[in-house]
Amino acid sequence: MIKEFNILITGVGGQGVILMSELLGKSAVKDGLKVRGSEILGMAVRGGSVTSAIRIGDEVYGPLIPLGKCDILIGMEPSEALRNITYLSKSSLVILNTVATVPFTVSLGQSKYPGLDEILGKLPQASDRVIKLDAAQLAQQAGSLLTTNIVMLGALFSTEQLPINTETIKETIRARFPAKVAPVNIKAFDLGYEVCRQAVK
Amino acid sequence: MKELTISSDAPGERLFVLGNEAIARGAIEAGVQVAAAYPGTPSSEILETLAGVAKELDMYVEWSTNEKVAFEVALAASICGIRAMASMKHVGVNVAHDPLITAGYIGAKGGLVLVSADDPWAWSSQNEQDNRYIALQGYIPVLEPSSVQEAKDMMADAFKLSEEFRHLFMLRSVTRIGHARSDIVLGKISRERRKGQFTKDRTWLVYTPREARINKPLMLERFEKIKKRVNTLVYNQLKLADRARLGIIACGLSYSYTLEAVKWLGIEDKVSILKIGTPNPLPEELVIKLLKSVKEILVVEELEPFVELHVKAIAGEHNTPVKIHGKDLVPVVGELSTRRVTEAIAHLTKSKLPVDFAQLDKLEQETVPLLPWRPPALCPGCSHRASHYAIRVASRRVARDYGQEVEPIYPGDIGCYSLAYNPPQEAVDTIICMGGSFGIANGLAHVVDAPIVAHLGDSTFFHAGIPPLINAVYNKANITMVILDNSATAMTGFQPHPGTGYTAMGDEAIQLKPEDIAKACGVKFVEVVDPFDLKKATETIEKAIRFDGPAVVVSRRLCAMIEQREKRKRKEKVIPYYIDQDKCSPKCNACIELLGCPAIIKQDGKTIIDSSLCTGCGICAQICPYKAIIEERE
Repeated sequence: MIKEFNILITGVGGQGVILMSELLGKSAVKDGLKVRGSEILGMAVRGGSVTSAIRIGDEVYGPLIPLGKCDILIGMEPSEALRNITYLSKSSLVILNTVATVPFTVSLGQSKYPGLDEILGKLPQASDRVIKLDAAQLAQQAGSLLTTNIVMLGALFSTEQLPINTETIKETIRARFPAKVAPVNIKAFDLGYEVCRQAVK
Repeated sequence: MKELTISSDAPGERLFVLGNEAIARGAIEAGVQVAAAYPGTPSSEILETLAGVAKELDMYVEWSTNEKVAFEVALAASICGIRAMASMKHVGVNVAHDPLITAGYIGAKGGLVLVSADDPWAWSSQNEQDNRYIALQGYIPVLEPSSVQEAKDMMADAFKLSEEFRHLFMLRSVTRIGHARSDIVLGKISRERRKGQFTKDRTWLVYTPREARINKPLMLERFEKIKKRVNTLVYNQLKLADRARLGIIACGLSYSYTLEAVKWLGIEDKVSILKIGTPNPLPEELVIKLLKSVKEILVVEELEPFVELHVKAIAGEHNTPVKIHGKDLVPVVGELSTRRVTEAIAHLTKSKLPVDFAQLDKLEQETVPLLPWRPPALCPGCSHRASHYAIRVASRRVARDYGQEVEPIYPGDIGCYSLAYNPPQEAVDTIICMGGSFGIANGLAHVVDAPIVAHLGDSTFFHAGIPPLINAVYNKANITMVILDNSATAMTGFQPHPGTGYTAMGDEAIQLKPEDIAKACGVKFVEVVDPFDLKKATETIEKAIRFDGPAVVVSRRLCAMIEQREKRKRKEKVIPYYIDQDKCSPKCNACIELLGCPAIIKQDGKTIIDSSLCTGCGICAQICPYKAIIEERE
């Protein structure tokens, strides 16, 4: 029995954050687990910050992860991972896509984007374990930049901490995409899985 | 095995759904036959889900022009003995308020349910009003779910309760129910389909003063019966702990936070908990039981102290010497969270906090200054960007004639174009309510001396823009009304409307044109422009502003997201633009500062176009003073 396992996915509108949580939730239910979650989409439009929580277990009631109780944080974008630092605890794991999406306010000179080293310097104040990968490059290797989110799902499963079976999520991914693009997504998943497993070792 | 869907009649099976899908599923299980709504976050997916299965399940589903009409459509069906519902965001209920209050007098014949999707913290709204107060005013019983599963169950039951008491019910959802995800256990789907029958009954349905006076006491009688019944409804649950000092009354979703909080604090056995699923009317017997068993009470609820005030009234009536806390410890602004509830309970039970929240707050304060500001932006290729540019240039030209200090005024409205209040557009001076741009412009016209250019979208125009347009004609308000027609209700997810030519159920419909309506309403200056022809659009808007009397400009160009989608379907290539660095003056920045397109970025001091984002609209090329922006033709 799983009591409580919390995954927070953070990113930018358009990166496929919501799809990731749908795939995770569906797979968890297939494996007989209870799931709760919730998402925030800014004003429901592209380009804003997006977070989505997926919570698995029999002792989960609310749709939101309480502060400091995130088990795994997936950062689809470095500054968005940092924005959610207070959900982390020392035992949390952060899986970070190192590719930045710079908002237009930076081009306008109205805000600044932190350096990656600044972000990587700050995250360990909350959590001891940060795994980094260039998910965009792996996605391109798989065949499409659009699979960046699936690469990150592969990375998530390589940690072997999830109560969901890897075969189940792959089955869900296969069912979710048209037959033509499903293999590209599975390849993306496998690449993320492999690269991240090396990093964990 | 066939994959489960929202319309599968598979009792006992589990399905992973969005909260709004669960609400729709509840209605499906109850055998709802008529559903109407106007889109609005966080409610839109309820009707979208129903529309998707309407033909399969033999239901009638419509996107109405506004919430008032949606509610009236549902009310009419109920009067004819059909199970019916209307769903809308919290502020949409304001639009439906007029028929809603009299509907309380009418009650219901076929089960009638109004779904009010409240939005604590106003994630995508202009306010965070608490519609339990509207329900209170109208004697409308409220079911408030604590989870997605309960939202489904309550919705299904609401129709039965409505028929049992011949009264309409409200389901109050909040953002974290409607936009939460969870597995739900499916129930059986009722396939009963009734034939609507209208029975003439003046005393019941014709509201002159006589009928109001006859029906109000009948309504009060029905409400009294419901008041008794809620004490035994499964949605209200009292769990008394042995010798507990503190009793927690948790309403709706707050119950989930409360369960997590007491577990986190490790005091599950030390507090009594009353779960409230019907804030209006409260289960008084359960409240009294709790009041008599504890020394102190904490009421936990989202937004206003609705339950709190009623509990205080009950306590006063029964002379119970219990100290009642609520909004003194639980915030009245914003959403609740496990943290906020934990802190309130810890304060009253003198428990140690499970996490050093102060430390986390400090970490947050240190982190915030490092973060870039990431507001949602108009999409690359959005026609509103071009329209706003044209409006600004045209209105400033005219404003100069009014005097040096005069600035044009831009009353704005609700939709994607609201985002133009952000820099660099900053072209929205008021946002108040649906259709408010034209209404406010009417008033401004009589008190200020400046060009007034109001704008709203096509769906908003059909929803609430026509009466203020007629008002401008009738009362001679010298204003310019720009209809930003992208042929979509884009903000909420591209739902069809009277201008799109098809209905919620996918049937063809007559396509209404805002310009035809404006002409028919007596507007003497009506022009249609393509905002991507910036020069022509600007000149036309300038003429409209200079026109003596109300003027209408329809700025028409399909929503970029839909156009990109259609292009992909047609396998048509998007031809992006690029910046010729030999011609570009890196210090100029006109494209960035005037348009703020997410596809135009600065990289190593150079201005470049991200070709993966560029849709090829070419607006930047039209305004570049150096003619440095060029289409990437091979």
